Amino acid sequence: MESRDSHWSDRELILAADGELTARQTERLRGHLAICRECRARAQELESAMGEFVHLHRGRLPPAPAARASLQGKIDDLDSSRLRAWSGLPAWRRGLLPIALGACILAFVSLVIPPRPPVSETDLQAGLVPMSSPMASLTPGVARRATREQVCRANQEKNRDVPQALRRQVFELYGIPAADPRAYEVDYLITPALGGSDDIGNLWPQSYAATVWNAHVKDALEDRLRELVCHGDLDLATAQRDISKDWIAAYKKYFRTDEPIQ
Amino acid sequence: MIFMADQPPESTLRLPIPGVADRERAASPLADEIIGLFDQFRDRLLRYVLSFGLSVPDGEDIVQEVFLSLYRHLQRGHSRDKLRAWMFRVAHNLALKRRNRARTMREDTGGEGAALVSLIPDPGPNPEDRMTETQRRQILLAVVAVLPEQDRRCLVLRAEGLRYREIASVLEISLGSVALSLERSLTRLARVVQR
Repeated sequence: MESRDSHWSDRELILAADGELTARQTERLRGHLAICRECRARAQELESAMGEFVHLHRGRLPPAPAARASLQGKIDDLDSSRLRAWSGLPAWRRGLLPIALGACILAFVSLVIPPRPPVSETDLQAGLVPMSSPMASLTPGVARRATREQVCRANQEKNRDVPQALRRQVFELYGIPAADPRAYEVDYLITPALGGSDDIGNLWPQSYAATVWNAHVKDALEDRLRELVCHGDLDLATAQRDISKDWIAAYKKYFRTDEPIQ
Repeated sequence: MIFMADQPPESTLRLPIPGVADRERAASPLADEIIGLFDQFRDRLLRYVLSFGLSVPDGEDIVQEVFLSLYRHLQRGHSRDKLRAWMFRVAHNLALKRRNRARTMREDTGGEGAALVSLIPDPGPNPEDRMTETQRRQILLAVVAVLPEQDRRCLVLRAEGLRYREIASVLEISLGSVALSLERSLTRLARVVQR
């Protein structure tokens, strides 16, 4: 039985927020947080501090296209010289390379990291688990009327500012009105780049502190889905449905991996 | 999912093809894979190397070098295990080297806390919010600037979403040291944030 008097240390609370405790330790901590208001408040303070730093650290960077084109040119040069060397090899040795390459890809895809369990309302109230997924009852995902052509013709709209008043409403909706707004990014479930709407049913507080299924990973999924839609490999409605139903499952489906690609 | 209005009819789902690439360009699968990884990690690596107090052009150079090294690494058939930590480790070593060279040439230590300022801050929705935001940034930057270098590195890598074992691998320190560094940094930051 957990006691109110035996508080958990800052280090333990940080390890818990970062998903670095064992399942057993996490379970014990949850039990303790359910009865210890002080530890609950402290856990939220530490998570807010991390969220503040992440917010500070993430400024807008110069756009990537020039750097991407430059890298592509350099790699093309390396590729050309490799192909020249390759064509000089005997045929039996050339045949071995695709097999080796396939084995490497399999090894890469099979990287295993323990998956984070789904977030429950209890977790949210405890203020412990970084929020990786929205709650379907609160954020079903809302799309505006848009065709594939309209979505693909428009500039890719990402991370559009959500008005303060609306952000507050989202926190209230999720039952965390006292949470520090800087610890969370109010994120679009269906990104505007895929026709997502500004409706509150399309917004949820995504914790900056999540390490595995975090905003970076969701951004990669959004880019992938938009690319598939705009190349005609996937219809817009399916992309919107998949990302709104369970974005983590959608990531696994479209990247063909059980864990974020690292 | 809720639709605000009627959606166009669905067409058939075709199998997605992993690997982001310009489809007009005839490139090797490895080249496409590297460009896909660049799209995914460029911003994170650039932010990390800029936290060493380097200029944006220097940072961009380093990021290019990371991906060229990655190309050579994979081309030689080396392991694809823990690629994210591998990329950050290479970026870390290159950034240290570049910073030390700059220090030797100019005897200019830069001040790494200030490196965070060099990124353009996201504008707040109104002037009052912007002012409050600027003040908060300055206070936090002051706290971050006086952190020991290892603590700052751990914090930045954590902010980029790395797990403890990855941070330990990038900085070549133990898991316990990562936990201790983050505890020190976050308790200091929490003190300021709660004011």
